[in-house]
Amino acid sequence: MRISQRFHMKKSVSQGKWWIIMSFLLPSFIGFAVFIFLPMLTTLGMAFTNYSGGTKWKFIGLTNFRMAFFKSQFPSYLYLTFKFMFVTVFFQIVLGLGFALVLAKPSKGCGFFRSAFYIPNILSSVAVGLAFNFIFEPSAGLMNQLLASVGLPTSKFLTSDKSALGVIMAVTIWQNFGYYMVLFIGGLQNINPSLYEASNMDGANKWQQFWSVTIPGLSPVLFFAITMAVIRGFQVFDFVYVMTGGQAGGGPGGSTTVLAFDIYRNAFQYYRMGYAASESLILMVIILAITAIQQIGQKKWVVYDAV
Amino acid sequence: MQYKTRKNLRNGIRFIILLFLAFVTLFPLVVVLSSSFKNESELFDFPFSFIAKNPVMYNFTQLKENFPLYTWNSVKLTVIIVALQLFTSSTGAYVMSKMHWKGRDTVFMMYLMSMMIPGQAIIIPQFIIIRNLHMYDTHWALICVGAFSAFGTFLIRQFMMSIPDTYSEAARIDGASEWKIYGSIIMPMSRSVMITQMIFSFRYFWNDFFNPLIYLTSQKLKTLPLGMSDFVREQYVYWGPQMAAALISIIPVIIIFIFGQKYFIQGVSASGIK
Repeated sequence: MRISQRFHMKKSVSQGKWWIIMSFLLPSFIGFAVFIFLPMLTTLGMAFTNYSGGTKWKFIGLTNFRMAFFKSQFPSYLYLTFKFMFVTVFFQIVLGLGFALVLAKPSKGCGFFRSAFYIPNILSSVAVGLAFNFIFEPSAGLMNQLLASVGLPTSKFLTSDKSALGVIMAVTIWQNFGYYMVLFIGGLQNINPSLYEASNMDGANKWQQFWSVTIPGLSPVLFFAITMAVIRGFQVFDFVYVMTGGQAGGGPGGSTTVLAFDIYRNAFQYYRMGYAASESLILMVIILAITAIQQIGQKKWVVYDAV
Repeated sequence: MQYKTRKNLRNGIRFIILLFLAFVTLFPLVVVLSSSFKNESELFDFPFSFIAKNPVMYNFTQLKENFPLYTWNSVKLTVIIVALQLFTSSTGAYVMSKMHWKGRDTVFMMYLMSMMIPGQAIIIPQFIIIRNLHMYDTHWALICVGAFSAFGTFLIRQFMMSIPDTYSEAARIDGASEWKIYGSIIMPMSRSVMITQMIFSFRYFWNDFFNPLIYLTSQKLKTLPLGMSDFVREQYVYWGPQMAAALISIIPVIIIFIFGQKYFIQGVSASGIK
C-alpha cells in the first residue's frame, strides 16, 4: 500500500510496473548473469577441483594452488608477468605524458600529430603482431638490416629467449602510449589556466610548475591511467600468441609465457581446467589487491579538488 | 624581434622532431602497405622502398581462397554484436537512469565491478556454458558472450543522467509509455554517446582475437583476426600474403577513424571520467 502511494507521489504513472522495468533490464541483465556473473562464481569453485572438461570431477582442496606455487613453472610465469607489467606501465605512462605535455596546447599540426600517435591503438593486435614479425624477422628483417647498416649488432629478436619478451614489450608500448596521451591531453586541458598564472607570479620555474600545478591537476587522470595500464599489463595475450609461436608457443625457452597465456594453454590445450581456474583466481586476486593498494595509496598524491 | 625569431626557430625544431617521431610511429603501417604489393623476392630489399618497383596483386590473390569468407564473417558478426550491444546497453542505461526501482544501485554496482574482473577469470566456465548450450563452434557463441557490455551501459547511463528528468516526467504525465519515452525522447537526445559507443564496440569486435580463438574451430566460421593468426602456425612463411591480410583488417578501422575521429577521442576521454 505504502509503495503504491510513493509511486503516486512521484507522478510515475506506468514506471512502477515491474514487468516494464524488467523489459528494459533483462536484455543486459541476462547477458551479465549468464556469461559474466555465473562464470565468475563458478571459477571460484572450479579452482578447488580437478575438473578437466568431462563429467567426472571432485573437490581436491588446495592441491591446484600447491601445485602452482611449488611444483610447476608458475612462479617464473608470474615473475615474467610482473616484469612485463612494470616495464610497459612505466613507458606507456611516461611517453603518454611526455607527448601530451607537448601536444596539449594548440600548435601547428597538433591535430595531425595527436592522430598519428593514437592510430596504433585502434589496430588489430593480430595484424600488428604480423607486421612486427616481419620487421623483426631474425635473418634479413628490416630492423636487422637497419642495425647492420649503421654498424650496430643485429639480434635474433623474437627467436631468442633473451630478447623475445623485450620485443613484445616494445610493441605493446608502441600500440598503447597514444591512448594514454589522449587521456592526458584531456586531463591537461581541464587544469585551470589561472593556476599557472598564479605560480608564474610567485616566480616558479617550469620545473616547479610541473610538480606543483601540472601533476596535482592531472593526478586523477594519472591515477586512472596507471590503474588501467596495470590491469591490461597483467592480461597480455594476443602478442604472445601471434609473435611467439601460436598455441604451442610461449616463446623460446618459455621466455614469453605470461600468466594469461599459461591459463589459456592449460584450459584449452591440455584441458586442465581446474588448475587453470586456480591460476586465473590467483591472477584476479593479484589484480584486485593491486587496485585496492592503489586506491588506498591515491589519498597520498591524488588531488580531486584542484580547480 | 630577436625574441620572436628565436621562438619561431624553436617551434620549427619542435615541429621537425614531432614529424620525425610521427614518421617512426607510423612506419610499421607503411611497411604493411607497401609490402602488400611487393613480390616475395623484393620484400627484404634494403634500403626499404616505399613503393614497390613492380607492384603486384599476387599477395591478395593468394588470399582469395579463405579471406573473402573470413572478412564476411567479421563484418557480419561485428554488425550483429554492435547492434545488439547498443540495444542492451541503452535499455540498461535507461532503466538505471530514468526509472526508479528498488535494487537499481545494487545492479549498477555489480555491472561496474564486473569491469574490474579480468577476462581470464571467467573464460573457462563461460566456455563450458556455451558448450552446454550447444553453441560451441557457432557464431552464436560470440554473439551471446558479446551481447552485454558493462562499459557501454555505464557510458550511456552517465550521459542519460545528464538529461534533465523533466523531459521524461512531462511525457509520463501525458501518458506516454516508458518504451515510447525511451524511443522517441531519450534515444534521439543520446545520439552522440551512442555513436561513441558504436565506434568503441565496432573497433573491439572487429579486432577481437581471444573470443574467436576460444569458440571457433571450423575454417568456414573464422573471423579475420583468427584467420590471420593461422599464418603463425604454417611451416613455410610467406610474408607477402600476411601483409596483405593485415592491410585488409586495418583499412576499415582507419577509414572509420578518419571520419569519426571526434568520437574515438570522446570514447577515450569518457573512459577516464569516473
